[in-house]
Amino acid sequence: MAEMTYLQAISDGLREEMRRDEAVFCLGEDIGAFGGAFKVTDGFMEEFGADRVLDTPLAENMIIGACVGAAIEGMKPVAEMQFADFIACGFDQLVNVAGKLHYRQGVSVPMVVRLPSGGGFSGGPFHSQNPEAWFLQSPGLKVVAPATAEDAKGLLVSAIRDPNPVCYLEHKGLYRHVKGEVPEGDHAVPLGEARIAREGGELSVIAYGSSVPLALQAAEELDEDIEILDLRTLNPLDADAILASVEKTGKVLIAHEATRSCGVGAEVASLVSERAFESLDAPVRRLTAPDVPIPFSPPLEQSVLPQLDDMKEACRELLAY
Amino acid sequence: MSSSPTDTQLIEIVMPQMGVSVAEGTIVEWSKRPGDWVERDETVALVTTDKIDVEIPSPAAGRLAETLVEPGDTVDVGTPLAQLDAGARPGEAHPEEHQEEAPSAAPQEPKGRPDEETDRSGFHSPIVRRMADEHGIDLSGVEGTGIGGRIRKRDLVALIESGAETAAEPAETERPLHIESPYRPDEPAPAAAEAPSAAPAEAGNGAAPGGDILPGEQRESMSPMRRRIAEHMLESRRTSAHCTTIVEVDLHRVVATRRELKEAMKRRGVPLTYLAFVASAVVAELDRHPILNASIDGDEIVYHDDVNLGIAVALDSGLIVPVIRHAQRLSLEGLASEIGRLAQRARSGELEPNDVAGGTFTITNPGQFGAVLATPIINQPQVAILDLEAVVKRPVVIDDESEAIAVRPMTNLCMSWDHRALDGAEAARFLSGVKDRLEEWEL
Repeated sequence: MAEMTYLQAISDGLREEMRRDEAVFCLGEDIGAFGGAFKVTDGFMEEFGADRVLDTPLAENMIIGACVGAAIEGMKPVAEMQFADFIACGFDQLVNVAGKLHYRQGVSVPMVVRLPSGGGFSGGPFHSQNPEAWFLQSPGLKVVAPATAEDAKGLLVSAIRDPNPVCYLEHKGLYRHVKGEVPEGDHAVPLGEARIAREGGELSVIAYGSSVPLALQAAEELDEDIEILDLRTLNPLDADAILASVEKTGKVLIAHEATRSCGVGAEVASLVSERAFESLDAPVRRLTAPDVPIPFSPPLEQSVLPQLDDMKEACRELLAY
Repeated sequence: MSSSPTDTQLIEIVMPQMGVSVAEGTIVEWSKRPGDWVERDETVALVTTDKIDVEIPSPAAGRLAETLVEPGDTVDVGTPLAQLDAGARPGEAHPEEHQEEAPSAAPQEPKGRPDEETDRSGFHSPIVRRMADEHGIDLSGVEGTGIGGRIRKRDLVALIESGAETAAEPAETERPLHIESPYRPDEPAPAAAEAPSAAPAEAGNGAAPGGDILPGEQRESMSPMRRRIAEHMLESRRTSAHCTTIVEVDLHRVVATRRELKEAMKRRGVPLTYLAFVASAVVAELDRHPILNASIDGDEIVYHDDVNLGIAVALDSGLIVPVIRHAQRLSLEGLASEIGRLAQRARSGELEPNDVAGGTFTITNPGQFGAVLATPIINQPQVAILDLEAVVKRPVVIDDESEAIAVRPMTNLCMSWDHRALDGAEAARFLSGVKDRLEEWEL
């Protein structure tokens, strides 16, 4: 075990897989000589050479398209979007080509798109989004969103080994703020399995990504019997873990930084009401950003993104219900 | 939120089709007034029909623009009742809401926050209901610690762990098997007997001049259900040539059979009553006397292939007759189960319009309240109604030759029938057939 930041854990996982498997290579804007906008691939070009660490033009459509072609030919590309927001430019290749090839032609497309997402640093509307719900609406894509350093490594390794296209959401706010013990060497966390981040019996907070540490802090400060379920994978969703937690507590708060409508929260709420209705002791609630772009202005951004006090208040209200 | 002008999109709320046979309904009251915001499926009005009371749900979310029918008005199915503006927004204030708003500048509570002022002690969440069912807890005796006094899951968990749950008294609905007398002084008197004791006679007897209210009187308008019953009963009296025929039945074999079967059926959740035996005998006998499973339509008699058996259920507020469809297909247990289910639904107000429509023969059972004779009124357009009276132990001659006397559980079956459709001999033959089936009941 070694203590790593979330960002170092991503680097470590990627490096391990590139060392282990010749078919793995990465590509993206400024990831080679510069080491990536956030330095995830710092030192990669030196270790693996320019053939496996490709600097690409500013053309996301091309990056994703190249991934699809390489994956069909047996490679395992890992693309970096400089910001998750930019995936919009590569959307057609991702959603209509990568996600559907298996269904149309029986071809597997083992590729990973790394998506630095999330706000909180005054990045404004083009550099702060949490676009996971876009991919949840697109059959054929798996979606993961780690919240800890250990999972950042383990889920990336599983994403690379998975035969499907995987959208890997790495929250920029966690990059250097989250640290933890991470197993060295080979470490994979299976896709589709949620994790109980904190055991409790009175309220289930179902979260992922940046909302997990927020929920943990809220639960500690409130000192209440709150369970926190870290989804880790958003597609496929771990329905069994969600239902087990709801059946235990009877109260549900779903928390994410992404916008509200038709998001993960809506999906989980629907699952809970369909399959755990008779276990509910309170209305299912969501704590999310409202349906607006992320503002540049720091005070405005703070009012849009769920804050610790919002989390505590939502928990208190549900506990009191 | 932007305050861009909204488009008005008027949607009509119409009198819905409530079952096949209901043609019109009466607005009892509006639950919403013009200007109110209404969620989709929220109740906007209460409607009563001659069969049943119905809540009218809103077809969409919007603002109630206009009501077109006044409470008390009766209109045909399909008639527009109100206009709903589906283009309105919930945030837009009701014209009168401005006046209601407190002048203080206190910020509004954020939307979706539970209002701590509201009494929630009567609301039970799904898990609370389920736990109460599973543990037989009477929720009325539980103190809630949630907001507004709501009973929370944790309240029940604590109660169960403390082992102090107050088991709900299983409602003992079953009446004594036999009674010696129709009058049971230990029973609370029925509501009708609770009418104020006779008013002083000094004001004379009959209508007071000028409609003055006599001292010692209380007046209340009849409930819609009461009015409907009154109308139907008078109408039936005017329509049919009522005649009542009575047979005495010895139920000792039925009593024995019931004793034999009761426990097993109870375990299967089926309450086996004498009514079920009578229903079974009636259904079987109707097959041999189709004229009694019929209705009169003008100058024609309509014979029905199916026996749709109406069972009169007494409610606190009146009387309702849910119908067991295709009763001829049901065994004794099937009939008992249906009787139990429909009576339960009737008492909890869960009957739907189709549950009370299309009866072809009716059985009523005032005997459960101790009555021994009655002349029931026919449920139009049927031609007969059979009345099961109290089961009473009496000495009877059980053997013509030896003239031996025994104590037997006896009852009277009183059937009113329409002399337009049939004659007394047919009615008597039918009743004797039912009597024979009951007296010769084989396990």
